[in-house]
Amino acid sequence: MALVLRAKFRRWLRGGDDGIAAKVRRKNQINDIIWKSLPSIRLSLLVAGYAWMLAIPLPNLGRNTYIDENALQPGQVNTYWNWPHVFRADRYLESLEQLRDQNSTNAEWAGYIKHEFRDLGIHVSTQSYHFTNASGEYNGTNVYAVLSSPRASGAEAMLISASRVSLNGNLNLRGIATVLSLAGYLKEYSLWSKDLVFVISDGYLEGMQAFITSYHGADEPNLDADPLTLSSGVIWTALNIDYPGHSFSHLGVFFEGLNGRLPNQDLINSFRLVSTYTGGVPVLLYDHRDPREVPHLESQLSIIPTWLPDVVKKQDAVREYGFRAKNILKHVGYQARGQTNGVHGLLHRFRIDAITLFAVPSSGPHGFHALGRVVESTLRTMNNLLEHLHASFFFYLLVKPGTFLKIGTYLPSVILVSVSMMFTGLGEWTDARWYEDLSKPKATDKSVAASGGIILLERPRPVLQALLIMLATHLAGVALFYIRTSGFAGLHPETTSLTLCALLALPPLFALIVRSSPSERSAPIASILKAANLCLASTVISVTSVLNFSLAAVLAVLLGVPLSYSSYKSALPAKIGRYAIYVGLGLGWLFCEKEVQRAIWNWEILGVWFAPFVCVVYTPLVLQAGIVSLLPS
Amino acid sequence: MANALGMYRTVKRLGIPDSNIILMLADDAACNSRNKFPGCVYPAAARDLDLYGDNIEVDYRGYEVTVENFIRVLTGRMDSSVPRSKRLLSDDRSNVFVYMTGHGGNEFLKFQDNEEISAFDIADAFEQMWQKKRYNEIFFMIDTCQANTMYSKFYSPNILATGSSKLDENSYSYENDMDLGISVIDRFTHYVLRFMESVNKTSQATMQDLFDMYDPDKFASHAGVRSDLFNRPIDQTLITDFFGGVSQAEVLAPEEEFYYSSTPEGGHQQESESFTHVDSATTSGAVKSNNDEIHGYSDLLSVVQDLQREPPKRDTTGLFRTWVSSGLMFALVAWVSMRK
Repeated sequence: MALVLRAKFRRWLRGGDDGIAAKVRRKNQINDIIWKSLPSIRLSLLVAGYAWMLAIPLPNLGRNTYIDENALQPGQVNTYWNWPHVFRADRYLESLEQLRDQNSTNAEWAGYIKHEFRDLGIHVSTQSYHFTNASGEYNGTNVYAVLSSPRASGAEAMLISASRVSLNGNLNLRGIATVLSLAGYLKEYSLWSKDLVFVISDGYLEGMQAFITSYHGADEPNLDADPLTLSSGVIWTALNIDYPGHSFSHLGVFFEGLNGRLPNQDLINSFRLVSTYTGGVPVLLYDHRDPREVPHLESQLSIIPTWLPDVVKKQDAVREYGFRAKNILKHVGYQARGQTNGVHGLLHRFRIDAITLFAVPSSGPHGFHALGRVVESTLRTMNNLLEHLHASFFFYLLVKPGTFLKIGTYLPSVILVSVSMMFTGLGEWTDARWYEDLSKPKATDKSVAASGGIILLERPRPVLQALLIMLATHLAGVALFYIRTSGFAGLHPETTSLTLCALLALPPLFALIVRSSPSERSAPIASILKAANLCLASTVISVTSVLNFSLAAVLAVLLGVPLSYSSYKSALPAKIGRYAIYVGLGLGWLFCEKEVQRAIWNWEILGVWFAPFVCVVYTPLVLQAGIVSLLPS
Repeated sequence: MANALGMYRTVKRLGIPDSNIILMLADDAACNSRNKFPGCVYPAAARDLDLYGDNIEVDYRGYEVTVENFIRVLTGRMDSSVPRSKRLLSDDRSNVFVYMTGHGGNEFLKFQDNEEISAFDIADAFEQMWQKKRYNEIFFMIDTCQANTMYSKFYSPNILATGSSKLDENSYSYENDMDLGISVIDRFTHYVLRFMESVNKTSQATMQDLFDMYDPDKFASHAGVRSDLFNRPIDQTLITDFFGGVSQAEVLAPEEEFYYSSTPEGGHQQESESFTHVDSATTSGAVKSNNDEIHGYSDLLSVVQDLQREPPKRDTTGLFRTWVSSGLMFALVAWVSMRK
């Protein structure tokens, strides 16, 4: 019976007796179906992609974090950091507060810290640096000390740092005091298998940027820094301590690096375990407290809109969704802009796994005592490493402390949008090849009848013109970038923005004068431009998604619908209206002055690619869609 | 690591000299810069007993601990340059104790994170030892995850084997030292060593007593014993037959003694003790690999057993050969002299 069925099925698959003809027929049928349902396929892909993005914070997605590297053994040691060391930290703090109150200069700060390190008997040195960029100059002095590994070769090192300015803008006095007191305390141990490098960097990010680029001999054109006199080995891991308040309730972990790099997840997980179990300090992502834990602040902390009825708002799943969404949005905000929030992010570039421990300011209950124990135990864990951190994830989305999404569960959202855009582009490209022949009488043969009696004729496609337009927009993007980052723009930001906006937005209006092609014998430029524009945008999104998921997601949101549904078949007022929307989308950012300045600063001092990417890739892509809507059909 | 060193301490305490112990340690935990107590290895978090101490002889260490070297030690296929201290100098009257520990799985044990020994490798090595008359009896003990699979492939006679956990079971550590930040000893080995502390040289405790101590609740795994290849009843096999350097004097009939010493065995690396009637336990050893692997062997000579096992067949052939060769010699001489 089964055999007969199988034979029948095979026969059917082969298409009966007339094998090849049936195959061809079936292939044509499938092509037809795909072609006819293309609009709905693209739409459903687009909808699926966006729905997936919205689903990322769902409470039942994600898995618990775990330690992948067996050598780490986090939280398995006794810590001996105790009140005498806290007392020492308090004394350092008093001196630092005096320096603050006396309005001391950078050199005086550095002198004091250097003196204290020397008193502890640790090799110490200072490094002065001088950054110049369009908007000004940054001077400062870093202090760094190297405690050589007592019993090992010192080929590797761990870095413990504190920047003088905290990520919340205050002075990081307690962070510095912690590092100083820790240095004296850690020196008593003989079990360090790696050198300990202590860095008190000046400023917020500049100081560490000067230190770490000099340490690795990287060439920074706008940096003039003293060479380092003390050296150590390859830095594997780094902890940055940021303790701006009086006491803290939670330790927040900041981990995004420049250009969207992330540290190995094992480091975050180890720290979380140590902090929770050894230090007794709960861990947060960033400074986001779970609104459910602080009911009196729930409305402030939660991002769930207040106008929602209580029935919805009080649902546990909804609150969990809101909490996760808030963390993810913050992550996307950092990662998409390639920006870092803390000194740790500067180190990822040199393959150093680093995080910032942010002592979330509060009236209690924790202080130096808990922080010292957490750092001591985390350092013991990092000390155990025999190889660079490699076992755990480098691509992940932390939705809350202890829960993360693997790349496979969030990447497809963006890819689906990108695929939809690619299909739209290819469909447009194929469409442009054919035109309907109206001159001939309707044929009577069978194949034509099947396609509704329409005869399609082939026509040439003006690829070169379309590509030239694209090239021109990208070149305009390059010009935009150079002008916006020039010294003049730094002095007169608003004038420059207006001028630039006008310079970029007006020339495409000449497209309105272009006569529509006399006959249908050649495809309209607009359709070719749209096809190429969509294919390029889709490729950019797919490629970016594996480098910097957040950036790709933002691009998918901003470009997905507008580019897919750009149209050149509308009347003049509609054309102008559409174009205005595209200009707003592509150039509107020029008027977010603060954002632009930060992006430019990040590019000039830290080498973050976000500003050039927006100017050279994003804006031109949107402008191309705008030109599509202006061109005649 | 403390697993292996614990066994080493036990066999040494029971009288087996370092010359008869092969200790293989893949890692230098004592002198690791991360060790908070430099030069010391403790088997318990209480840190009352330093296993490393002043008197320890590691025969194979670090990257010398490989599957190849381990099998060479067992089978005796050594380069002539290898010193005697690194060889297993056993013969067919030696009782060998092999102890291994480390990271393992179904029918394998990892060495150095980059290679592994399989149950078949060990079984074949033991068979080679048997054919080359390198042991009388073997006691094989292994503490690793799924340890019992490691002895499942043995097929040579006179092997008694025990392991810490059965297939699909892990072997767990006994306790953590919160200052070192690591687990210091495994449960199975901890309880075996604790049992061994009650054994001294004159102890009459048998293997059955050891196996009776096994308790799945304490070990958190099911320790196994394989005795089908072993041809003595295990309740009459003394612990000291494998672990102890126990000297026993036995007076033999003079003819027998003469008879024996005049026909030495063909086996190489014969110990000189074989000519005496004093029966002395010679070697025991621990071979350690990877993080925690040890292999040890102990080796007990027993003339009485040997004589029982060895039929005096060899002598008649020898006699026969002597006469035939003499006869040939005469024939040759006669033939040469006849030609002249």
